[in-house]
Amino acid sequence: MTACLHAGAKHKGEHRVSAPSIRRRSVTAGLLAAALPLPAIAQGTSPGKRGGDVIVAQQAQPPTLDAQVSNAQASRNITLHIYESLYTRDEAANPKPELAEGVDIAPDGLTYRFAIRTGVKFHNGKTLTSADVKASMQRYARLGDSRDVLKPVAAYETPDSKTLVMKLASVAPGLIDAISSPRAPFVIMPEEECGKPLGQPALIGTGPYSFVEYKPDSHVKLVRFDGYTPNTAFSQRDGFTGRKTAYFDSATFRFMPEGGARTAGLQTGEIHVLESLDVPAAKRLKDDPHIHSFTMMPWAFLTLEMNTNWGLTSNLDFRRAVQSALDLEEIMAIASDGLYRMDPAWQYPGTRYYPGMAGLDAYTRQDQAKAKKLLQAAGYKGEELIIVADNSFKPHMDTGTIASQQLRAVGVNVKLNVTDWPTSMATRSKPEGWNLWPDMMGMEPYEGPYNVLGFFGGKQTVQIKQDPVIEQCNADLASKLKLEDRVAAVATFQARMYDQAIAVKVGDLGIIQATRSNVVNYAPYRIPRMWDCWFA
Amino acid sequence: MLRLAGVRLLAAVPVLLIVSLLSFGLTWLVPGDVAAELAGPTASAAEIEQIRTELGLDRPPLQRMLAWYGGLLHGDLGRSVLLNQDVGQAIVERLPVTLSLAGLGIAFACLIGTPVGLVAAAKVRRWPDQAAMGASLVGLSIPDFWLGLLLVWVIGVKLQWLPTGGFVPISLDPLGWARCMIMPAGALALTQVGPIARMTRSAALEVASSDFIRTARAKGLAEPRVFVRHVLAASLVPVLTIVGIGFGVSLSGALVIEQVFSLPGVGRLVIGAVLRRDWPVIQGGLLLTACVFVAVNLLVDLLYLWADPRLRGSS
Repeated sequence: MTACLHAGAKHKGEHRVSAPSIRRRSVTAGLLAAALPLPAIAQGTSPGKRGGDVIVAQQAQPPTLDAQVSNAQASRNITLHIYESLYTRDEAANPKPELAEGVDIAPDGLTYRFAIRTGVKFHNGKTLTSADVKASMQRYARLGDSRDVLKPVAAYETPDSKTLVMKLASVAPGLIDAISSPRAPFVIMPEEECGKPLGQPALIGTGPYSFVEYKPDSHVKLVRFDGYTPNTAFSQRDGFTGRKTAYFDSATFRFMPEGGARTAGLQTGEIHVLESLDVPAAKRLKDDPHIHSFTMMPWAFLTLEMNTNWGLTSNLDFRRAVQSALDLEEIMAIASDGLYRMDPAWQYPGTRYYPGMAGLDAYTRQDQAKAKKLLQAAGYKGEELIIVADNSFKPHMDTGTIASQQLRAVGVNVKLNVTDWPTSMATRSKPEGWNLWPDMMGMEPYEGPYNVLGFFGGKQTVQIKQDPVIEQCNADLASKLKLEDRVAAVATFQARMYDQAIAVKVGDLGIIQATRSNVVNYAPYRIPRMWDCWFA
Repeated sequence: MLRLAGVRLLAAVPVLLIVSLLSFGLTWLVPGDVAAELAGPTASAAEIEQIRTELGLDRPPLQRMLAWYGGLLHGDLGRSVLLNQDVGQAIVERLPVTLSLAGLGIAFACLIGTPVGLVAAAKVRRWPDQAAMGASLVGLSIPDFWLGLLLVWVIGVKLQWLPTGGFVPISLDPLGWARCMIMPAGALALTQVGPIARMTRSAALEVASSDFIRTARAKGLAEPRVFVRHVLAASLVPVLTIVGIGFGVSLSGALVIEQVFSLPGVGRLVIGAVLRRDWPVIQGGLLLTACVFVAVNLLVDLLYLWADPRLRGSS
């Protein structure tokens, strides 16, 4: 049997799980709510109005605009207006075709035959062919951020100008999930750009906007690509794919590091779209008729990773004591400024790989008496527990600070090291010298299970010491052809994470995107999408 | 005067060498590198390591240091992978923003601080003196980033007189440039008004009790003329010192102000580079900052000679 994934087609063997009873708390009142998986957004059927330069403000400037190389949100916000991929994600984060019409997967799972859309133009006027797709995928395999997912691909063939065949050396049921991920997107660029080194290709894609200029520390400017070929397999925008129409003449992405200045710019109308509005500012502005706020819930996992290789946290009883000592809801409430939900699962509810929440209650309830007993069982004698947190991301620092207090309350001698993000990353990559590390996982849970499980597996796993059960879960996820077997691997992973206290899933964080009220038909998503919205 | 300039420039060479060595030392001591930034915040250790190898960041530090000094001898400060630009070019592009910001800031501070100091000296121990010194103390105590945010809120958001941030090159639109620079330069200036006013006051009071000032008064000169023509001129040397220091402080203050007002200057470049571990930019920025401080000190020394002819013989 040949499995087909075409535009609008459902996944074979799609696994549906009934809605879980997630505890929701104090999510900012009065804001428009949009939960993932996002429902198909009611799109305006009337055509929009062309014109204008839309100003989008984001905190960070992109480390690079070489889209394949980086998984930074600051890059993705911009590059996904310029580039497109064979497959990407729809509104509910499911893989959907973009530059492909679809894919035929051989019954043995070793051959993927992609039919490429015809008549698609690059920004330089060249027509997209399979040669461009092949060269782009080969470049990704050489330089791309998530290049490991292409390791099973033994050969790329182009029997004709609209067909790309990937021949695999071993089965990779997660291949479409992987290459459709916008994390470090598998974008398609002209063949002649693909031989250039990291960071050097001209920014030429097939997306609805073309690149004009990048002024570091200031802005990136894009203009509408009037030769854009909309995907007629769709009737409306759908996540990163769909039938896209750019209405703005141009889009300027300004880099504004100071949160107060970004909010002020939105209030005065100097900025039209804000990638993220602070929760307190959103509460303050909720009655402002010139500003629309949109809540994205969930946006990220908030987690507390443990080093199972070194010091106190190499002891299972001690790690379980940490699990019992924490009041997760208190951490979430402070770290998120009130925009959170308590959700212990390691996949989002309603998604294909959701493992359920059965049996997790015992691990997520604070029990200080139990924590003290576990500390005794661990033979704890007041040694120093080192928490490494960074001050670049508020939820990280808040989590480190509150967890420190809660652990001190059960008698743990905590040393909290607050550094900047690069230092914290470099410290936690070392096998010794740290015990706990707060971290947000944003794109990974949105993508599905592969990078969530992958984060805790492999030779350079975040908890430093490989866990044999998690390694097996990763192997099953990468090799089992049946979806239910892969969901079982995710369930085993989740059970193991809790049983061995490898990391603490604190909860789900939300964010708030905002626009001026004259931006019509904007819908929040993983990036501020500047297509299918327009100025009133 | 030329001899003094030559000696000071020669003395700057070891200073710059020490600064560059210290900046290299930091690359060894401070954890993290540009590979982690390029890969993105959620990259795995393996993904970061791949990029590190790709960029040659796994080369021995000594090899990288020698390569950098080799480039420096040819006027090459290296290349920033994150900016996709030569470091020298990146600094030169941003320098006018920072220098004009600091320059405008110190000019505003002089224009306000000097008359305030003179008035305080003229009305010593009376209410104008007490009010001026009290206000200067308040200005001195307010952090410039807070003042910047306050100005954004009041002048930008509430009154909507000026843009809340951003930058327009003077070559494109002089009026737009002025509108963008007034608030940040004002925020920088207000923190410098206090020291300049206080120094002007104390220098003026010292000069005002001199014999030649008594003579000027005895000749029947009007008090404003005595102060502007004689007291101010004779008080300039210590005031110049504080203005020179103030310019340096304004340059460092520009680091923060550029962040608040989203100005694409050297300060924002260097802060971004520090946070992203873009070492070639950090090294270039530190070297440049040291050069600017050396130049400002030299300029102040030369201005001493201009302001006080008695010093010319001793130089």
